[in-house]
Amino acid sequence: MTNAMFASASGMAAQQINLDVISDNLANADVAGFKGSVAAFTDIRVPGAIGLGTAAIGTHLLFEQGKLMKTGGAFDVALDGPGFFIVRKGNQVAYTRAGSFERAPDGSVRNAEGWRLDGVRIPDDAMRIDVRSDGSVAIDTANRKAVAAGKIAVVSFAAPERLRPLGATLYAATRDAGRAVRAAAGDDAPTRIAFGTLEASNVSIIESMMAILAAQRAYEANSKGVQAADEMLRIVNNLHRS
Amino acid sequence: MDGMDWMAGAMRAARTRLDVAAHNLANVSTDGFRKARADAELTARGILLRVRTTDTQGALRHTGAPFDLAIVGPGEFDAGGVKTRLGAFSPDRAGFLADAQGRRLHGERGPVFVDARTTIEADGSVRSDGRETNRIPLPHGSSLRSGFLEGPNTDAIGEMIEVLNAQRAFETAQKTLLAIDQVRERAVSDVERLK
Repeated sequence: MTNAMFASASGMAAQQINLDVISDNLANADVAGFKGSVAAFTDIRVPGAIGLGTAAIGTHLLFEQGKLMKTGGAFDVALDGPGFFIVRKGNQVAYTRAGSFERAPDGSVRNAEGWRLDGVRIPDDAMRIDVRSDGSVAIDTANRKAVAAGKIAVVSFAAPERLRPLGATLYAATRDAGRAVRAAAGDDAPTRIAFGTLEASNVSIIESMMAILAAQRAYEANSKGVQAADEMLRIVNNLHRS
Repeated sequence: MDGMDWMAGAMRAARTRLDVAAHNLANVSTDGFRKARADAELTARGILLRVRTTDTQGALRHTGAPFDLAIVGPGEFDAGGVKTRLGAFSPDRAGFLADAQGRRLHGERGPVFVDARTTIEADGSVRSDGRETNRIPLPHGSSLRSGFLEGPNTDAIGEMIEVLNAQRAFETAQKTLLAIDQVRERAVSDVERLK
């Protein structure tokens, strides 16, 4: 009975973690460039005996493509395909798929948290900005058209799901994720850069709500397991009639 | 074996059923989990319980990651000598597919090496630029889906019913045990009165 009680308690703990991860996904469902994750579990095996329930083994990032939304923002870019933008702050480097940037007074292109998009500089006299699907940035000034203003670099990782999240949409490189490798972008490449567009999060609110319901029910069912084990211990105690 | 022994055996069996159901229930969110089942058998020495894992198919869940693999049909992955149905692999530092614990996936030609051009086909072949570099062995009739993970083959409702059943079976055995005890008590006291 105590085995069952521990197993059921581990199941309740697991569903709590599950709920935490789902609610984190839901909270960020409207954040452009956000990638949802799922909690991963493993069963606790006991050689030659019945298992002892479950244990959490961390979360698993899901890098499924989010939908592209036309925004018309001043410098909104989205990745259509795998890969990441490189952003810098001081001497820190991070990788992101959130492409909501704006031109800062010093000519750099930064996001709301001040991370600078690598490789692009927009001069003061730019009147119109255009980003091609390969990431090259061209500007029109008052007297010249299509002046090159840098190129947005796209990098990919061998194992992006092993990147370390920094906040909702930024990731730091890890040894397990592999090296950041420059990836080709463009109409013929697997990844295309879309300008005037943002990538919506890949969290489906409906699916998340259903997952919440399932987690809640699973939690309840596991609590029944604890109750049943407890009840059976009570029955054992009643074997001796006083 | 007398009635009391039988009932004690029935209680042990119910306890095992509860342990199994609780373990299955705890793993309703564990990808690749195979539920256990306790089969009871009546023998001259009492109730014999055999616990084995079942191999019905779990539901497939789309993840979109190219090296998340799910086997449709029988078969298992060989993750560094550990047989598992969980196919959540991604390349490690050296480029070999490994699971979350770092155990490498083994194919027919050793650990499976992948790069950006590698695809894994439904027949288990690992291809790079169309050329087969390795093969994940699959039994005849099974196929491999990449971009999917297999969920557990257990469901919360079924296992909860099993928990309740085990509890009731335990209770029944206890009540019967008490009844046998009462009969014996009567026997003792009545025989005494007959004197």
